[in-house]
Amino acid sequence: MVIRRGAFVIKRMPGFTLVALACFFALYMPLAPLVVYSFNEGNNIALWEGLSLRWYREAWDNELVQSAAIRSLVVATVASVIATVLATMVALGTTRTRPYRGQTTIYALVNQPLIVPEIVTAVALLILFAMIKQATDYHGYAYLISAHTAFCIPFAYLPIRARLEGMDRVLETAAADLYATPWQAFKRVTLPLLLPGIFAGAMLAFVISLDDVVITEFVKSAGQDTLPTYMLGQLRRTITPEINAISTVLLTVSVIMVTLIFFLSRKKAK
Amino acid sequence: MKVAQKSLLAGVLLSMSSIALAAGQLNLYNWGNYTNPKLIEKFEKETGIKVTITDYDSNETALAKVRAGGHGFDLAVPSHSHLPIWVSEGLLANPRVDQMPNFKNVADEWRNPDWDPGRQYSAPWQWGSVGIMVDTSVYNGDINTFGIVLDPPQELVGKINVAPEMNDVITSAILYLGGEACTGDKQLLRKVRDKLVEAKPKWKSMDYGVIEKFAGRDLAASLYWNGAAFRARLKNPDVRYGYPREGYSLWADAVVLLKDAKNVEEAKTFMNFIMAPENAGLISEFARYANSIVGSEKYMPEDMATAPEVIIPKEFIGFGKFYPTCPPDVQKMYTAIWTELQK
Repeated sequence: MVIRRGAFVIKRMPGFTLVALACFFALYMPLAPLVVYSFNEGNNIALWEGLSLRWYREAWDNELVQSAAIRSLVVATVASVIATVLATMVALGTTRTRPYRGQTTIYALVNQPLIVPEIVTAVALLILFAMIKQATDYHGYAYLISAHTAFCIPFAYLPIRARLEGMDRVLETAAADLYATPWQAFKRVTLPLLLPGIFAGAMLAFVISLDDVVITEFVKSAGQDTLPTYMLGQLRRTITPEINAISTVLLTVSVIMVTLIFFLSRKKAK
Repeated sequence: MKVAQKSLLAGVLLSMSSIALAAGQLNLYNWGNYTNPKLIEKFEKETGIKVTITDYDSNETALAKVRAGGHGFDLAVPSHSHLPIWVSEGLLANPRVDQMPNFKNVADEWRNPDWDPGRQYSAPWQWGSVGIMVDTSVYNGDINTFGIVLDPPQELVGKINVAPEMNDVITSAILYLGGEACTGDKQLLRKVRDKLVEAKPKWKSMDYGVIEKFAGRDLAASLYWNGAAFRARLKNPDVRYGYPREGYSLWADAVVLLKDAKNVEEAKTFMNFIMAPENAGLISEFARYANSIVGSEKYMPEDMATAPEVIIPKEFIGFGKFYPTCPPDVQKMYTAIWTELQK
């Protein structure tokens, strides 16, 4: 980017560094004690008794944590894959078409989960799924997976759409000029260019699904506790640093994923 | 889309297998971190019934899910304050707990609680009380009064915590001022509000997780639950638990059979199972609260069987009472007081 002299550049505003640092401090400071005490040797979350990996070992050996973690990963993987496929289709349908009536409405509809409070969706799904469960007597994972898929779609959709809008349309037009069928043009030109966006979207969806509490708590059937709902259940009694250890792992996974998303979406569409 | 199909297929297969196995299954819906894995292991070994535990974190969540129906649970463990709601809304089946073989082990005072007359619906799980924790190295006067937090002695000022539970705090303040729980007496409630607002500046916090803070001697007194007081004493031998003589609230969680349970016989087997002393002992060993089963102390860890926080000393038993959830108009006034206290 070329910066013209005198143009408005936020980085050059007075106090920029200070404000930025203060924001980072406010964002990350509260997490510091959580992480620090996950390495505590004693069974206390406020009293330091020495450095140890004890709670990581305990969480790792805890069967309930294991099964909840595996359940979380499976649900997040399946839901994010389905959500990404659907989001890619919606993104193509809202950017690679002639403008049509209702396009904005579709955009708003797809992003509905970003706007509607989670508790509203949770209660609505509780009632709807309860009716289906009673009618079919099916209590499996389809409820959890479809609910997660639904609220993951906008998170997958936004990076994919941004990528599509930023891509050079000339390349696709050129492919069409050279007698590529629409499918060939999509497969050989659009899709490869779009891939970083798709991966970014999928990872974002994965993290969102992995972290969800409210909807999961209301939708889960018997024996379907995920890692976050398991952690919520622990809070009524004494909290041990085991919760810190699990939180730290979840946090690390989320941070890694978001970093990857950042690098993927920075890759220029050539 | 293949994934969706596969997961759907897997789901269908899963649901089919669960029907086929229904003879030996049980779905328990309980508070998180509240069920001793050893208890479940023992039950599975003795009966061959496979137990699936699902967690909830509040009476309201549990009630909402069961009300909606189709939940797939057989047993739930509501608190005494909510149990009458479950009964009146027709969410429960009546397994006649009072006629089960192991009912003979239930202590006399637990055979006919107000919230389950005749004890037909619920098998006892655990119970406890709301009282006063004090670090006696800081203050060694009389601790059997809510005055410790509402009119604190000088030594304790600034070192007091109060559990952030509206009903427990307001009920305690009402009892302290000589009223009845769930009273709608506005004059008294005004006094309650003034007392709480006046006392608050002398408190340090309104928070959970006090055990660590008593261990670290950051706190010297708290309005809190007996199980936590017991665990705090194991870490800080100066901590004592007071049973306020103005009256204090008791709570109990009990196992109930849901009306739409699929595994009724298995569920009844479980209800009977937990009323055996050796099994009730396992329940207490894990969550550290008392149960209501005579002879279960023999199966508890020794530090627990003799703990005055768990086994209420004779002279204080009479002050404790169960209080129901108050009527909505009273609840509204409580909320108003609570909101003012939070400011």
